[in-house]
Amino acid sequence: MLDLLRAIGQTVSPLEPEPATRADILSVHDERLVTRVEALSAGLDVPDCEAYGLGTPDNPVFPGMDEAARWHVGGTLKAARLICEQGAKRVLQLGGGLHHARREFASGFCIYNDLAIAIKYLTRQGLWVAYLDIDVHHCDGVQQILYEDMRVMTVSLHESGRYLFPGTGEIHELGSGPGRGLKLNIPLEPFTEGDSYLEAFETVLKAALGQFNPGVFVVQAGADAHYDDPLADLMLTTHDYEKIFRRILEFADTFADGKVLFTLGGGYSLRAAPRIWAMLYLMIHNLPLVEALPPAWLDKWNHVIGNKLSTFHDLNPSYPPIPNREEIAHRNRQVTQRLLDLTSQYWL
Amino acid sequence: MLVQDIMTSPVVAISPDVSLQDAYQTMQEKGIRHLPVLVLDKLVGVITDRDLRLATSALAPKPFPSGARVSAVMRTFPFTADPADPVEDAARLMREKKIGCLPVTNDDRLVGIITGLDLLDALIRMTGADKPSGRLEVRLADRPGELAQLASFMSRRELNIHSILTYPEGAEKIRAVLRVGSIEMRMLAQDLRRDGFDVLWPPAKPCLP
Repeated sequence: MLDLLRAIGQTVSPLEPEPATRADILSVHDERLVTRVEALSAGLDVPDCEAYGLGTPDNPVFPGMDEAARWHVGGTLKAARLICEQGAKRVLQLGGGLHHARREFASGFCIYNDLAIAIKYLTRQGLWVAYLDIDVHHCDGVQQILYEDMRVMTVSLHESGRYLFPGTGEIHELGSGPGRGLKLNIPLEPFTEGDSYLEAFETVLKAALGQFNPGVFVVQAGADAHYDDPLADLMLTTHDYEKIFRRILEFADTFADGKVLFTLGGGYSLRAAPRIWAMLYLMIHNLPLVEALPPAWLDKWNHVIGNKLSTFHDLNPSYPPIPNREEIAHRNRQVTQRLLDLTSQYWL
Repeated sequence: MLVQDIMTSPVVAISPDVSLQDAYQTMQEKGIRHLPVLVLDKLVGVITDRDLRLATSALAPKPFPSGARVSAVMRTFPFTADPADPVEDAARLMREKKIGCLPVTNDDRLVGIITGLDLLDALIRMTGADKPSGRLEVRLADRPGELAQLASFMSRRELNIHSILTYPEGAEKIRAVLRVGSIEMRMLAQDLRRDGFDVLWPPAKPCLP
């Protein structure tokens, strides 16, 4: 991604964060998880590590894993601090987005939840946070940690847990205690395309932002809802992502004085994710997108991309027509409506 | 999974001399709908909130007053379960008799109670819906060893199967729906297909190689 940006003439000079401290991690995570990560990180044996989600194929043990995880958290925390302490408006964390990490359980490639830790920091500074998760997987870790928090509204659009990891994210998961009515889930049908996605996005966010007035947006911008992603089954194109990012920036400008923190997240297609995130970078800077991909960049990355790409954006059409497209759109509309019906008992 | 694994214990119970009014009060306070009735420690009946409401309803031909005794309204000789019964046996009994609760007894003593909600909890635990997991569905021939081969494949990948449900398809096939503790289901599906398995979910995406 960085290569692509440089190839189209951008001077990208990211800021370096510090790794998060142990105290930062403990602000959200159970100490029993942290001590085990530290022990495994140092090469010690921890017999019950699997009960904490560690030492599995998704979350393998490796030396230095504690420090590596704390770097991700440090990045997102620094982004939050830039907003609170330095008056920054749009910040892009070139990493993070580890939304599956739970308070006491590592999962789905995530050890420590950088998003929850940064969001807790933001609420301690007195900000009300709107968290938006467009990764194709449900943000189960973030939701669990912030389930009772009334200072945070979480909105997740994801492929339904009926089919996709982690299996959660139903519409009736609405939050509990003071957080009731402030956790929103939009589980979408497999093979949902851009039009249906954007319709659900627009409907829910309009209603949600009429209800909750955020001081800052935190956005997990996973790129794995793209049709080329090998892990999931949604069918977004780069054109759809452009629309989504544009709306998010507009919402941030309208509601939060322009303050928005983006992290990356899932995105397992080497052909798609770099373009999507490069596009996010350009849009944050109000820079125009380019038409063609630089030939030098294509040559350099040919071994992973193949020679399928030439334009920055996806071709139109990009994939064969989806046979039950109308049924998929209809079901998504029903789900969205049912979600808003459920929230109406908690909303003003 | 046994009855003792899902039952609620200790149990709130009442004596048969309690008034219907007091029985209702107890249910409201404790947030329960079923009350076993005991004499000394012996189970003599069960009274439910439905029984109370039907008995005192203005729609009943001869409604009971609220001061009437529980003994006049309760079901005597209730069905019971043994703590070591498998939950599916309890489920079958409750379904056949259309009852909402089963007092659990051991040596004539009341040791617990299971309700329809406890059975739902068991179903949720059995379908693995409370651990992060992805869905995999495979069509297998209904022959010994097929499921074992699938399970061995998972084992070689060190993947944890959180739950597995099978149901028949026609006379010779079964469909196995697994919840697997991994995010990488599509790659797994591709590898399974390469090994000759008939994977129904996740399907091959039309645009991917």
